[in-house]
Amino acid sequence: MTIEPGTVDLDSARRAKLAEALVKSGRGDRNAFAMVYEATSAKLFGVCLRIFPDRNEAEDVLQDAYLTIWNKAASFESGRASPISWLVAVTRNRAIDRLRAKKKAGTTSIEEAAEIADATPLADAQLIEDADDRTLHDCISSLDTRDAFFIRSAFIGGSTYADLAKHEGQPLGTVKSRIRRALLKLRGCMEGAA
Amino acid sequence: MTIMNDEDITQAGEYVLGLLDAGQEAIVAARISTDAAFAAEVEAWRLRLNPLLGPAQTAPANLWPKIEKSLPSPTLQDVGTGNLTIWKSLTALSMTAVVFMGVLLLQKPIAPPPAQSPAPMIAALGSETGRAAITAQYDSADGTMLITPVALDTGALYPELWVVPADGKARSLGMIKGDKPSEMTVSPDMRKFLNEGALLAITPESAQGAAGGVATGPILASGKITIL
Repeated sequence: MTIEPGTVDLDSARRAKLAEALVKSGRGDRNAFAMVYEATSAKLFGVCLRIFPDRNEAEDVLQDAYLTIWNKAASFESGRASPISWLVAVTRNRAIDRLRAKKKAGTTSIEEAAEIADATPLADAQLIEDADDRTLHDCISSLDTRDAFFIRSAFIGGSTYADLAKHEGQPLGTVKSRIRRALLKLRGCMEGAA
Repeated sequence: MTIMNDEDITQAGEYVLGLLDAGQEAIVAARISTDAAFAAEVEAWRLRLNPLLGPAQTAPANLWPKIEKSLPSPTLQDVGTGNLTIWKSLTALSMTAVVFMGVLLLQKPIAPPPAQSPAPMIAALGSETGRAAITAQYDSADGTMLITPVALDTGALYPELWVVPADGKARSLGMIKGDKPSEMTVSPDMRKFLNEGALLAITPESAQGAAGGVATGPILASGKITIL
């Protein structure tokens, strides 16, 4: 697999080492798993904090995420995904599962999740560290404000098409085609900038 | 390498964003495990969107010891040593796995068995996270088992199927295909263990299977046998 420039913040040697440690973790190697934690806990804690701004809750989610990673490490396929994007996806999914369970239990609402999502453009602007972040930020900013909200609300707030349609009071099909158009536009913008 | 059209591209994007409901998500997850070009598109979306999930923040120093302490060793040997909590969590079939099963039944209707033959046994094997799903259908009349993986990823290793009856001892039923449905004939000495309530489990092993019939990999998916 070729390494695309700037797609991950690890150089290829570190990335290969991380992939190897992850594969070893899948065979039950605890030392290798400690290396995975060492190399990725800051990144993954950032993911948890983005979805759960409360630190205690974010810590719980991070702990839960690493247990899931330990249990799932054997299913990591280095040819298919970079280790860091796989780890981020597992962590995000754990956090979103928890967020959705809370929504279902009525302890948090789509409005609260939407607030988090609405508040993030500011946070995005503060964290622009490298070119990738800036490209994404610029391209999301170039979308219609509502479309940008939908994308954040899904990725960070756990909203599905059905949630968003309900929230907007619009037919599911309308919301779907709107978001799909926005996705193509976003991709076009990011590919154009690359 | 297949060429991705706009529909493929948006499907990959909406999967990464988590916009799909559980049923659609299961279908897309199955596509990722079989379609490399599509998997690459999913990866591209992750790389595009992941900066939204930042920035990195130093995790609290006391967290690693807690995590390390709580790490289970979900190997089949644990059953024999009475480590049952792992099994409880692993066998609790998630809704996602049930949905997987529903999708499967819609796609492949099971023909009703002839009146004289014993009731078929089925097991839906799921993972704790709901990300792996396999169904097994066993016909005790002739010892055949139909294995249908809906989502199963063993990385560089190969899936081995185990049965764990009431005595808690895991016995290998052999290697299975992780990427497509397959039929196997259960060896005659293993058939007595395939009863309602016995557990089926899958672990990743080398191509020849675990040496000495003792599982080495973690459990990827498990589920109890039920009589239809």
